[in-house]
Amino acid sequence: MFLQTLITGLSIGGIYALMAVGYSLVFSVLNFSNFAHGAVIMLGAYVGLALATKLSLGFGLVLAGSIAGAGIIAVLNERLAYSSLRRRKAPSLYLMISAMGCAVFLENLVYATIGSRFYAFPEFFGRQIVTLGESSVSLLDVGAFVFALAAILGLHLFISRTRTGIAIRAGVSDMTMCSLMGVDLDRLISIVFLLAGGFAGVAGVFLGIKYLVYPTMGWVTNKAYIAAVIGGLGSLPGALAGGLILGVVETFVSVYISSVMRDVFSFTLLIAFLVLRPNGLLGRDSEEKV
Amino acid sequence: MTTPTPLLSVRGLTRDFGGIRAVDSFSFDVPEGSITGIIGPNGAGKTTVFNLITGVYRPTAGDILFKGEPIGGHRPDRIVRAGIARTFQNIRLFNRRSCLENVLTPLLQREKSNFFAALAGTPSARRTERSLREKAFDLLTSLGLDAFAPLQANTLPYGLQRKLEIARALATNPSLLLLDEPAAGMNPEETRSLARLIAEVREKFNVTILLIEHHMDLVMNICSPVIVINFGALLAEGTPDEVRANPDVVAAYLGKGRKGK
Amino acid sequence: MDYILSIVVLAGINMIAVLGLSIFTGFTGLFSLGHAAFVGVGAYTSAILTYYYYVPFPLALLAGSAAAGLVSLIIGIPTLRAKLRSDYFAIAILGFGEALRVILENLEITNGARGLPGIDSFTTLPIVIFCLGGGILVARNFLRSRWGAACIAIREDPIAAEMAGVRLFQTRLLSLVVSAVYCGLSGGLLAHFLSFIQPVMFTLIQSTQLLAAVIAGGMGSLSGPLIASFVFIALPEALRVAQIWRLVAYGLLLVLIMVYRPQGLMGYSEISSFFSKNRSRERMQP
Repeated sequence: MFLQTLITGLSIGGIYALMAVGYSLVFSVLNFSNFAHGAVIMLGAYVGLALATKLSLGFGLVLAGSIAGAGIIAVLNERLAYSSLRRRKAPSLYLMISAMGCAVFLENLVYATIGSRFYAFPEFFGRQIVTLGESSVSLLDVGAFVFALAAILGLHLFISRTRTGIAIRAGVSDMTMCSLMGVDLDRLISIVFLLAGGFAGVAGVFLGIKYLVYPTMGWVTNKAYIAAVIGGLGSLPGALAGGLILGVVETFVSVYISSVMRDVFSFTLLIAFLVLRPNGLLGRDSEEKV
Repeated sequence: MTTPTPLLSVRGLTRDFGGIRAVDSFSFDVPEGSITGIIGPNGAGKTTVFNLITGVYRPTAGDILFKGEPIGGHRPDRIVRAGIARTFQNIRLFNRRSCLENVLTPLLQREKSNFFAALAGTPSARRTERSLREKAFDLLTSLGLDAFAPLQANTLPYGLQRKLEIARALATNPSLLLLDEPAAGMNPEETRSLARLIAEVREKFNVTILLIEHHMDLVMNICSPVIVINFGALLAEGTPDEVRANPDVVAAYLGKGRKGK
Repeated sequence: MDYILSIVVLAGINMIAVLGLSIFTGFTGLFSLGHAAFVGVGAYTSAILTYYYYVPFPLALLAGSAAAGLVSLIIGIPTLRAKLRSDYFAIAILGFGEALRVILENLEITNGARGLPGIDSFTTLPIVIFCLGGGILVARNFLRSRWGAACIAIREDPIAAEMAGVRLFQTRLLSLVVSAVYCGLSGGLLAHFLSFIQPVMFTLIQSTQLLAAVIAGGMGSLSGPLIASFVFIALPEALRVAQIWRLVAYGLLLVLIMVYRPQGLMGYSEISSFFSKNRSRERMQP
């Protein structure tokens, strides 16, 4: 029972982590909570769904298409809704409200045009089960978990090893200085959103396969944002750790206490971290830019 | 030496930011009724000292005694109530409020009024408000700002904004007024009239003044004693003439940097 | 006629909540993404009192408002004391609102997610007008009092406000409680107008709508948000726009305001100043 709960928690946590990465990436550079990220995840899932059902593509192409689609949407989102705020150095709160507007807009637009129906992905993995000792776990969960780890590790390497990655890290520490040094800030930020969007695409596909595809699947109150806060907004290892911890803790609460308490517990955790440890477990110190 | 107890007495004041010691066991006194000046090169820690006295920062170590009572680490509003007011280096007015409201706000905070009576708008609550408005207007008048009373604070020219900030500080009824670079950005003519204003304010409102300044002539003309701070520590202290003659001060200002050590 | 009447009543009820949020956001400078939860607390408290305990309607309204004020202390005390970043505060209160909704969905007495039907419809247009009028008067008096002046000072510059003798934490908390009381009153009226309430009526979406009205109407203005609130409720009703397209429009509107006019329709001015001579002082960038 204990092991089973742990494994279930980790598999949920892996998806949380994939979703949380996008929040953290954007926060690390622009210092605001991009609530539209959930909507991009949702759109990524719809893109993947369209490729899988209309064009009957295989899993690899569906994933690639969804990454590309969500990446482009995220970049457009930044260009249209954030870039002018960013240029006039608006408070991060304004960016957050604009992001909230985007989330409400995109989600309800899908609702109004595509409808509230729940869609299922074709069964890429069947219902295969992997057995670990006395407990079992679906192949999909294992796949999602491994993929999440690999993708986040890849992103970490990209940021710490490549030229662009180093420029992003420089942007994290000082945007003004970075632009003085001749870094094209707009391009840099587009790359960040492209990356965040790419992860949204992956998360959308896995989320859609595991559960279903519907307009509110990426809504702000999804747990990924809470995971990002727990790990420390702006920290990639934090997003991973936060996702896994939240996934496991939540599963334990719902199994051993009650499933009702699970959500109350998660929100309480969110508030507690914001109040007591706003930089999360692994986050860097971030003062509000006034 | 100093026979009466000083109004403000700072002992061994220290403040660290991360690994940097911005203020380093700094001690000085502000005699009652004086205009005391703090001078020092850029980044010497002058504004940090003000922020420590007014409770914006907590001291890492050391004592701040005001009228003999320790106030170090108290909340700013409590320190204000104890009788310390200040202005800011980069003017901080309530920008989108009128000049009158800028001065009225601290006056209102001193008033003990009944919350529910105020919500209901009872005649007595209205009377109090009216009388405070008059008081605010009088205060503006005494600083020559009455003509600007209804104007939004950030529409005033720079020099008048500084004056308005002083008016707002006086509205808290302080016995010690801290002025952070009051002459910043002023030409010699404006600086001279500011010097007159400061002397006048001390007389009229019966306040002791502690000011930070870069304009040497202003400090040397109106301040005594003068305290020199460098690298967060006391470098010299005394009358303007004593300070001027001090070789350490000359060295610091001629840019020889930290001496000794 | 009944249809128009119900639009006006609904708009009036919404305006009361917006009035409260305007004090908190427009005048104290704190943003909230959770005020719909306080509307919910007021709605459920008053409805339960009249439904199960036959408490007279005015008393139930008062109790609902008071309950909302009390509940706001639970989130206000820890978050405001910690002096959170403004966006973290908005998020913390969002989390609180959602947690509250989950609780409402799982209590016996609220009849869970199915909602509470059969509440007596006591709310009438005159009652709403009376409450709204009283609310506006009290809000004006509040803003002129020492507490209101303290709120505005904090919005303008928290550090300067403290140096003017303003107690930061107490003032912010008071502003939150006052705004929650308004929302609670609005909720009580709403429950006894619709005679049916459900937890999904008090979610993040509704909080966003309240905030949208305040921001669109203008920070630091009472009349602007009231107008915006009326337009937000009445216009789509009159045009019979489907609920879903309204939300699309709200979302788009929030983005457009932030990008093009963050001070909102009537930023830092009142409608009355348009009729007086000196209308030159508005339009300041916040």
